[in-house]
Amino acid sequence: MNKKAIVLASTLLMTCGLVTIAYAQASAAPAPVAPGGPAFAPSNLTPNGVRSMAATCAACHGTNGVSVGGAIGGLAGLNKDYFVIQMRHFREGKRDATLMHQISKGYSDAETIALAEFFAAQKR
Amino acid sequence: MTMNRRNFLQAGGAVAAAGGVATMIGCASVGGGRGPKVVIVGGGYGGATAAKYIKMWGPTIDVTLIERNTSFISCPISNLVLGGSQTMADITVSYDVLQRKYGIKIVRGDAIAVDVEKKVVRMAAGDAIAYDRVILSPGIDFMYEALPGLNNAAAQERYFHAWKAGPQTVALRRQLEAMPDGGVYAIAIPEAPYRCPPGPYERACQVAAYFKKSKPKSKVLILDANMDVTSKAGLFKKAWAEMYPGIVEYRGSSKLLDVDTATSTAKLEFGDVKADVLNALPPMKAGSIANPFITANKRWCEVNWLTYEAKNVPGVHLLGDALQIAPAMPKSAHMANNHGKTCAAAVVALLTGEQPNQSPTLNNTCYSFLSADRVVHVASIHKYDEKDKTMKTVPGSGGVSSAASELEAQYAMAWAKNIWADALG
Repeated sequence: MNKKAIVLASTLLMTCGLVTIAYAQASAAPAPVAPGGPAFAPSNLTPNGVRSMAATCAACHGTNGVSVGGAIGGLAGLNKDYFVIQMRHFREGKRDATLMHQISKGYSDAETIALAEFFAAQKR
Repeated sequence: MTMNRRNFLQAGGAVAAAGGVATMIGCASVGGGRGPKVVIVGGGYGGATAAKYIKMWGPTIDVTLIERNTSFISCPISNLVLGGSQTMADITVSYDVLQRKYGIKIVRGDAIAVDVEKKVVRMAAGDAIAYDRVILSPGIDFMYEALPGLNNAAAQERYFHAWKAGPQTVALRRQLEAMPDGGVYAIAIPEAPYRCPPGPYERACQVAAYFKKSKPKSKVLILDANMDVTSKAGLFKKAWAEMYPGIVEYRGSSKLLDVDTATSTAKLEFGDVKADVLNALPPMKAGSIANPFITANKRWCEVNWLTYEAKNVPGVHLLGDALQIAPAMPKSAHMANNHGKTCAAAVVALLTGEQPNQSPTLNNTCYSFLSADRVVHVASIHKYDEKDKTMKTVPGSGGVSSAASELEAQYAMAWAKNIWADALG
């Protein structure tokens, strides 16, 4: 493990607890919808609902998050908190991205956590 | 251009086999497994994905995939074959894994009709395949009646759309290779909606890249029936101005009305244009097997976005480019892949007595190659609106590239490999 990875890992350890708490609160209430905006159905966070949502990631990241494409990283087996933090960083512009800053904004906090749990449970 | 029909067919190597294998499946009464039977027509991005995901999520379901071609040939990346940086082999994928690994029956042949009373799909070879649920992913047909000069077989052997990757891709590349330096390649784009909104503009870039390298006095002329570039407009216009100055000319509001094949002239609303290579994309509609389910503008099929069942006939599911799109939903490979999965989940639920997902999510990513190694994207996320019963984009999400990059070229090729494996591997 190089120095950068160690720093990243320790940063993750320090922030994981906070993130989990923040997202747990966020997931209790549905995302507010602007007046006149879309009337989206409530998220389906049942196992089959999450499985279907995770399948939207597969076109780029591989079936069940197992990437065979080289440049695009796999999601299978990723640490749950790492996934959640990266998605948040994409959303907030804290991680450089070509496209994921745009995609990450399409998934709510509760959906992001559910996706993180799904991919963490997948075999690489 | 003197390619005859035999050469033309040999060129791509993917000739439709008319039903030879299909007869082995036998009549409607013969079924493979004990589980419910799903028959899928069309093994493209929508149908192949649906087949695989039904087997993943409902292993006891008996899945049959009917496809006329011997291999899958990808439309995405096929413009790079025209540009010369990729080959047909690079964009061709076998159906073998679906059969071997997932136990999906692949029936090679032409499905010609769905009999919703008897619940069978009728094959051109005369046999019929029984289903409990049928999924049609027929892609598009071309409305040549809109271009009378091209509405005959002889004209269509000289003027190619190359908008279904395969023999026509090879044939168009050969026309470009045979064209003398100083010639004009014209691509005529129909009014939206059509398959792959950014595709024609990417193709213009790819042909321009080839000309820039090999035939620098030649021109690419874009004749667009739409008022303006329909996708990634700023990024494409920047590429034409900066990467291909003096090569690419864009003309909006230039609808192709007909082609005079005697003089190779594109007849437009305002004036005529002569082209050495004329690549006319006719207006498009849902593939013909979906005709009974066309309910929008006599061209497209409306579906229930929770199950992908036809609005006019429950029990018949439809996917991909054949659909009447929801707002801001492109007719793209990636979207067809997402349709396929949502439909697969709904079909598995319906066959096991469960409620289909009431809150489906779709996303879309379309990469366009401005050259062999510079790429831009457009992306979107779509969720189900309960009130309007349609898919809508999530406010604040999605967008296009800030600029073309080599990094996105790496991601685009990785996207292709992953989506091919997601559908077929």
